[in-house]
Amino acid sequence: MTSTFAAPPPAGGTPAAAPPAVEAVQVSKVYGAGDAAVHALRGVGVGFARGAFTAIMGPSGSGKSTLMHCLAGLDTVTEGRVRIGDAEITGMSDKQLTMLRRERVGFVFQAFNLLPTLTAEQNILLPLELAGRKPDRAWFDQVVDVVGLRDRLGHRPAELSGGQQQRVACARALVARPEVIFADEPTGNLDSRAGAEVLGFLRSSVREMGRTIVMVTHDPVAASYADRVVFLRDGRIVTELFQPTPDTVLDRLKSLGG
Amino acid sequence: MLKTALAGLRAHKLRLLLTGLAITLGVGFIAGTFVLTDTIDKGVDETFARSAGKVDLAVVPKSGPDEKGVPVGVLAKVRGVPGVTEAQGLIDGNAPLLGRNGKALGDMPTAAKTVPSGRLLRYEVDKGRVPSGPNEVVLDSRTAEREKFGVGQAVTVLDHRDRPRRFTVVGLLDFGIDADASTRGAVGFDPATAVRMTGAKTFGEIDVVGGDRAAVARAAGGAQDVLTGEELAAKLARSAGADTKMIRAGLLVFGVVAMLVSALVIYNTFSILIAQRMREMALLRCVGATRRQVFGSVLAESVVVGLVGSLLGLVVGLGLGAGALALFNLLGAHLPETGATLAPRTVAVGLLVGVLVTVVSAVLPARAATRIAPVAALRSDLEPGTGRFRLGWPRTVAAAFFLLLGAAIGGFGTFGMKKGDIAMYVVAAAGTVFFLGVIILMPALVRPLSRLVGALPGKVGGVPARLAVANAQRAPRRTATTTIALTVGVGLMSLFAVVAASGKAMSNAQMDKQFPVDFQVQAQFKADGKEHRVPHALAQALRQRPEFSTVIEARGKETEAGREKVDVTTLSDGALGTVIKPTFKSGSAGAFKPGTALTDAFTAEALHVKTGDTVRISTRQGAVPVRIAGVYGADVPLSGLLVPDADFDRYFDVRDPTSIYAKTRDGVDAAAARQAIEDAARPYPTAQIGSQAEMREQISEAVDMILMIFGGLLGLAVIIALFGIANTLTLSVVERTRESALLRALGLTRRQLRRMLSVEALVMAVIGAFTGVVLGIGFGWAATTAMSENSVFTVPFGQIAGFIVLAGLAGMLAAVLPARRAAKASIVESLAHD
Repeated sequence: MTSTFAAPPPAGGTPAAAPPAVEAVQVSKVYGAGDAAVHALRGVGVGFARGAFTAIMGPSGSGKSTLMHCLAGLDTVTEGRVRIGDAEITGMSDKQLTMLRRERVGFVFQAFNLLPTLTAEQNILLPLELAGRKPDRAWFDQVVDVVGLRDRLGHRPAELSGGQQQRVACARALVARPEVIFADEPTGNLDSRAGAEVLGFLRSSVREMGRTIVMVTHDPVAASYADRVVFLRDGRIVTELFQPTPDTVLDRLKSLGG
Repeated sequence: MLKTALAGLRAHKLRLLLTGLAITLGVGFIAGTFVLTDTIDKGVDETFARSAGKVDLAVVPKSGPDEKGVPVGVLAKVRGVPGVTEAQGLIDGNAPLLGRNGKALGDMPTAAKTVPSGRLLRYEVDKGRVPSGPNEVVLDSRTAEREKFGVGQAVTVLDHRDRPRRFTVVGLLDFGIDADASTRGAVGFDPATAVRMTGAKTFGEIDVVGGDRAAVARAAGGAQDVLTGEELAAKLARSAGADTKMIRAGLLVFGVVAMLVSALVIYNTFSILIAQRMREMALLRCVGATRRQVFGSVLAESVVVGLVGSLLGLVVGLGLGAGALALFNLLGAHLPETGATLAPRTVAVGLLVGVLVTVVSAVLPARAATRIAPVAALRSDLEPGTGRFRLGWPRTVAAAFFLLLGAAIGGFGTFGMKKGDIAMYVVAAAGTVFFLGVIILMPALVRPLSRLVGALPGKVGGVPARLAVANAQRAPRRTATTTIALTVGVGLMSLFAVVAASGKAMSNAQMDKQFPVDFQVQAQFKADGKEHRVPHALAQALRQRPEFSTVIEARGKETEAGREKVDVTTLSDGALGTVIKPTFKSGSAGAFKPGTALTDAFTAEALHVKTGDTVRISTRQGAVPVRIAGVYGADVPLSGLLVPDADFDRYFDVRDPTSIYAKTRDGVDAAAARQAIEDAARPYPTAQIGSQAEMREQISEAVDMILMIFGGLLGLAVIIALFGIANTLTLSVVERTRESALLRALGLTRRQLRRMLSVEALVMAVIGAFTGVVLGIGFGWAATTAMSENSVFTVPFGQIAGFIVLAGLAGMLAAVLPARRAAKASIVESLAHD
């Protein structure tokens, strides 16, 4: 399923020259204290270019989910700084962080992405409603058509397949036009066909709509949809890969010993 | 298996506590009732034992229907018995003490008490000394305090012919738990003065020191019993114990209501817990537990919860009982405060009821637990609550059965039965049956009701409120049980409120229509049931005053009609039909001529007569035939056989009226009229003046008081139901951990998350209260209609609205802790929550 977005045009200029959409500077995260302390992140510094699709990979326990949580303002960092756009989120209050997520960040989680009490349409519009923003009807229609949910809008999550549920989650992330979308194993619960569809949307939303996506995954095929893959091990960024294919990703993972 | 259950409980102490709390409160109330009444009983026993210990023998009249007292002459005979060193007769009479305003105190005259000196004195002297001689008096300490009388002061007491006598107060006494003294106040005289003041021909009791029982009994004669001191104490305690039994029974009714609500809360909590621990249960089944073992483990858990809750409840009960005792005494009661204790019976009843209710409530959830398939352990997508609920046909049939049966019985009680108490009981039974139907139907009502209740919060509360309304509907059974627990308390409260308001409206309407007088003058009630009258001269005096347009005297005399006792009454000429207008069921005021009588429906029934019949009544001229000219409804405060004024004069030699009614002339100021009537009544200290406004006020206050007490007692049931709401929410919060985290990630602030749970609690509480109010008003109407022909149905809208608002607020209060818990949770940890 391929589609073309009519608007808006891709972000202008070369991605590398513009300031990154999200940036981590010397970020450390320690859970617990003393002997029981777990260093989930050890001085991670990384930037995610505007209008790019970046995947974060690494073996279990490498700190990839923690990094994403810290980048998205869901968790606080022990040391270092995180910026989203022009906003320094380190040290923000819970309320400020909540507002920031509401206005500038979109999420697609692995599971339990949707509220069971709301219909697909209500789920898609939820972030806008929370922010008290009027949905742009034309944009909504366009997103809904792209993810192919037109005839499913009135259904509740329990009446949708896993793939459909993730597509609703993608639509929700897109419809608010956030500065960055964080996706945490978005295809982890899907079969390969449904997974490919979801990844296709994510990629085309970057290529054709200029969105910025940071995706955590452990699946080399999923990672290959990205423009760039960042590899983490033991809380550090060890290497990265541009224009990945499943094979190059797999090779790199093997070399990491993951 | 038992170990697994116990280990599970240990791991979830908070859960255990929350579940047990409902039981704790219910058992606490029941135990508190026992503690309170036991302590009162014990104190009463001790006091009687102490005072009766001073008596060797007591001569009392043989108990029977016409117990007359011990003739005064017996005293001299007893004193003559060899070995008797001292004997005193105790008076049971009245001695109206005049207050500072020159009026006899209270609605009933103060009691006259014999206060002997020496060993037979059984009262405690608080101040001063015991009286001796014809000019000395002692006062009950509390009466003296209220009227600010002190030792050394002069007071006036009326003798048995209402003649004022001056006395000097020489002491203040604590008459203890003496029933007369505590309700009416008391004055005490030395034995001779007591006899003179009351004109008594009999004693209530003769106390004896020394002497032989048989000899005293011979001297006292066959009509008397002779008791030892201990037997006397036991007899006195028995009669006092009857009161505590009534209090206990009344309080226990509310205890049962509270336990019923507790049962609902526990049933619900266990159901939710089982649903949430589905995977745990399935895992148990996977590793080889049989269905029976799963069932047993849930029941074992309920036994522990019940036991812990009940034990805590006993402690709470001890506190409640002692607290209530202290509170009553603070409010002016005079209860003995000897240490509150838990009797073995209280412990047994408390534990039994608590554990039994818990276990019975857990049976259905335990059965549900056995139906969980082992494979459920492997499923990961256990989404709680789909929001769908279908009223299956068994439920439909059962609900329809109870609702229709309840409605049918209620309809019969309301319309098909003779008005009165029995019809009201039938309506009450109908209410219970109907309520069963509502319980069964409730899950199906949750959706429409939460839409209705949630409409406003959904409009003004934004996204969180709308989510909350959706959440309230997602587990209809759970919401239904949570809310119905609240319905019980609020429903009963509204029912009482409606009945009380209707009762007030009814009495007001009656006063307006049938009894349009402004003032009523009556004598103090006589405690011994003797006829009490106001002097005719007062009526004459009032007729001379220009402030009054009409003065009516109502006279009455108890006599016999055939074998039945009946009151023959009369009103001053011209009063009937002009001022006092009864509604006739048959016959009319026009047929009311010499030789006839009118009567109310109750008397007509008691005498088995109807209009046109003739009854023979005993008069001073012998038996006289009287034809019934009409029967009126029970809507006027006139009962018995009403005969014409002139006839009454021929039949009886009774000139003084029982009541005088006076109507103020148009244009006369109410205060001026009041002054006039008080001036006229000044020579008659026992004449009590009441205005219609005052009577209304009094009725209204009395009704409000009862309503308040009922409300307070039902408050417990409401509080337990609120714990139920808190419980359900806490468990829902746990269940929706991941969902809450998702919402927070998407931009829901902590405050919005808290508000979401508050609104959910609000919706649940209001659904419960609303259902209760609807039922309460409905059955309040039925009960009011069944109560009396002249009932006036009134809904106290302010109060009812207050109930709903309060329930809503309380519900939000119940949500505070669960909401804090939800808001505090870390998003990242919650997202990973399983």
